[in-house]
Amino acid sequence: MRNTFRGGVHPEEHKELSRDAKLRQFDPQGEMVFPLQQHIGKPAKTIVQKGDTVLVGQRIAEADGFVSAHIHSSCSGKVKAVEKRRVLTGGMAECIVIDNDREFTPFADYSVRDDEGNLSENDIIQRVQDAGIVGLGGAGFPTHVKLKPKDPEAIEYVIANGAECEPYLTCNDQLMRTQAPAIVEGLELVLRLFPNATGVICIEDNKPEAIHAMEIAASGKARIKVQAMITKYPQGGERSLIQAVTGIDFPISKLPADVGCIVQNVGTLMAIQRAVLYHEPLFRQCFTMTGEAVSEPSNFMVRVGTSYAELLEACGGIKPGTEAVKALAGGPMMGIAMGSLDVPVQKQNNGLTLLAEDPVAEAEKMMTACLHCGRCTTVCPVGLMPQLMADAAIAGNLERYEKKLYGLECIQCGSCTVACPAKRPLMQTFKQAKAEIQEKKKREGGGQK
Amino acid sequence: MNGVLNISSSPHTRDRWTTPYIMRMVVLSLLPATVVGIVVHGWQAFGIIALAVVSAVASEWVFNKICHKPDTIWDGSAAVTGLLLALSLGPKTPLYIPVIGSVFAIVVCKGCFGGLGKNFINPALAARCFLLISFANAMTIKPSLDAVASATPVGALKALEQVDITKMFLGTADGVIGSSILALLVGGLLLWSLDIIHGQICFSVLIGFTLLIGLFGGEGFNPRFLLAHLCGGGVVMGAFFMATDYVTSPVSRLGQFIYGCLIGVLGGIFRLWGNTADSFSYAIIIGNVCTPLIDTYIVQKPLAYRKVGKTRPVKKEPFRIPRPVIALTIIAALAGLALSGVYSVTKGTIEAQEIAKETEAYKAVCPDAASFANADQAEKALKEYEGKTTRVNKAYIAKDAAGNTIGYALNVSSKGFGGTVTLAMGLTADGKIIGISFTELNETAGLGMKADEPAFREQFNGRGGELILVKGTASGEQEICAITGASVTSNAVISAVNAGLDLYETTLKGGN
Repeated sequence: MRNTFRGGVHPEEHKELSRDAKLRQFDPQGEMVFPLQQHIGKPAKTIVQKGDTVLVGQRIAEADGFVSAHIHSSCSGKVKAVEKRRVLTGGMAECIVIDNDREFTPFADYSVRDDEGNLSENDIIQRVQDAGIVGLGGAGFPTHVKLKPKDPEAIEYVIANGAECEPYLTCNDQLMRTQAPAIVEGLELVLRLFPNATGVICIEDNKPEAIHAMEIAASGKARIKVQAMITKYPQGGERSLIQAVTGIDFPISKLPADVGCIVQNVGTLMAIQRAVLYHEPLFRQCFTMTGEAVSEPSNFMVRVGTSYAELLEACGGIKPGTEAVKALAGGPMMGIAMGSLDVPVQKQNNGLTLLAEDPVAEAEKMMTACLHCGRCTTVCPVGLMPQLMADAAIAGNLERYEKKLYGLECIQCGSCTVACPAKRPLMQTFKQAKAEIQEKKKREGGGQK
Repeated sequence: MNGVLNISSSPHTRDRWTTPYIMRMVVLSLLPATVVGIVVHGWQAFGIIALAVVSAVASEWVFNKICHKPDTIWDGSAAVTGLLLALSLGPKTPLYIPVIGSVFAIVVCKGCFGGLGKNFINPALAARCFLLISFANAMTIKPSLDAVASATPVGALKALEQVDITKMFLGTADGVIGSSILALLVGGLLLWSLDIIHGQICFSVLIGFTLLIGLFGGEGFNPRFLLAHLCGGGVVMGAFFMATDYVTSPVSRLGQFIYGCLIGVLGGIFRLWGNTADSFSYAIIIGNVCTPLIDTYIVQKPLAYRKVGKTRPVKKEPFRIPRPVIALTIIAALAGLALSGVYSVTKGTIEAQEIAKETEAYKAVCPDAASFANADQAEKALKEYEGKTTRVNKAYIAKDAAGNTIGYALNVSSKGFGGTVTLAMGLTADGKIIGISFTELNETAGLGMKADEPAFREQFNGRGGELILVKGTASGEQEICAITGASVTSNAVISAVNAGLDLYETTLKGGN
């Protein structure tokens, strides 16, 4: 049975570029850069100094508080500097720079299985926290925080997110095809924390091989089932998955755990398995290099801190005859447009899409006034009315935007913007309106104090 | 990296839908109605359509130039407005009317309010109403000369006269250029199946209108009566192409439903108790004006706020018949209906052609006759032949120009080898065969078909009485030589001819 959520769009997939490229380990040759902030929360604090020698998997920065995550080196070599470097969002951020000795000497042996079968819930969460695991789906929320809801017994579903609804990206597909047993084992570890939960592995139906592999790996496991989802963006969004699996919609002020759900990306689940059973910290993840301007689109197990430029070289560089006009960290729906490729891969990154044509630039030429066609309302997965929200935001009627139209419920998935035939920049308008409202609230809140 | 990378906010992809795509599809869906309109109403209709479209696009271009606005004619909306206006004009409208209408629609109704997306009423409809009020005489749809009805179908409806629904359905009745309901439905359902227009609007308009007419029309839910009302007065055009205009219709599903019902009910009220045939245009305009009000107050809540309870059943993909399938089925059903309508319209013509063909056959066998009259005295005898294999089908008296009986023409048939053999035979006043001519002969080529060759056929000329078939050579007065190898055919011809001769002997002889 294929499940889905309400609304959504179906952008062109372009997954054929890299969907059959096998995951391969990539060992970079150049220097490695580790930003101290690779997660939501407070930046980590560095625990190494210039000149220190570090090994693969060695901790180089420590979490600062509960909502934060440790950072581990992914190469061996000498610490070259702790300084501000450019990161993919375009700004400068504090980074640890390591001179890679290209030996990749491990800090510990990560192939020994340390599983007495009697790990307590706290042991599991502690090992996840020690490994510095964050959500690998893109948000980078520290995983140990997610695994500690107020009431673990109230959790009904642990959803393994293998939807990969983002166009172009295929690394989760390859990961599920080749590492299905490890992912299922990771899910079983998480299920041990939630005695009343069922594990549901959700995969879009454009990945039949992955569904097959996961079904084999999950067969005979009473608490785990695999569910095919209709291929539709944003199927892989937390809220869309929860709606598809449980039928529950919940306001943006609530967390998935409030409605009895924990959602973990399949990559994160594999990292959990490696961390809990092998003490391996998070220093590599699956990653797709794709786009029309890439010579050989590939899927990698990439080391955190690798330069995007070096990854592009490993894919044969820019495809002859094409010109890269846009580089996206991630896919075209949620990805961040990068100004330069000389920035490091962070934990929560899962791909680079190098476009030979910029659909946004093309679309801007076709922009007309809003027709009020209502397509945005049809596709909105939250059930909002984007065109009325845009009218209110442009008119400066933030009261109506917030109270009558529930504008703050927008999850910024961008479906409305993709669907708009008049090519209006809807999501940008909403981002701005949201920021203005929050600014106003802050001011008023400050006035009361 | 050679060039500079573009930076923009996500998402970095766009759907293939664009404003010009939507406008192109609307024009495409109006094409059937346009073509039917031109074919039925001729070149003046074409002129009206061309002038309306060209002047709409031109006035948008000029308006934008004068107001220093960016050029917007490429988005196609002006062309759609012009086409819609033209299709809602009568085919005999003077040619200055569409020009004035288009300029009014684009400049006053659209441009002055800020262009595409800002107008509060549908420009094409507003222009039509403006023309109706300002140029009442030129806008009246005059019935064509040969039409029996004294008014347009809607006029007739109001007067509760009989209307020809088939003609209205096909678009051959008097009315506006785009009045072919079949063509409009094909286009409208195409738009609906492509998800361009909202089903909530067009169907609630039709439902609201039908309910009101059914409840208060005085004829109950008599399908003929309801169909006549639905087919007339721009109801279908309004429901699918005017009311569904994005800019002037509400956004929420509930709002669209309310808006549709409002238009349908108002249209019905105006139709029943108003005194104009153009009621539907006014109903839609009132609906347009209510749209901002509906959009302000009827707003859908996010999914999370709609239900009180936390859980609801898991959403499985329900089995749905794909919309194109529904649309195609409806179109196929309509096409079937239309074809049967065409048959009933053309049936008379086909019959006339058959009669002409038959008369020609009689002329061939009675070359001297000027006219043929029914042989009344043979009527009873003809009845007796009905259902028999060998029979006389028709009997006529051949008369010369002065009205004197100069002979008889008969249509006779019998069963041959390959089916029925039918022939016309001419007799002189004293019962001698003038000639025979086959009207139906499906025998074996080279054998039975030889019956139509002069060698066989002309043997009959000048004969009378009862004829006998012989093989080889014929010698006697009454003998006819059979066709070698085709005795069944020969027998059929002889029997048919003998039946005719027999009828002459028993009833026709001596009478006039």
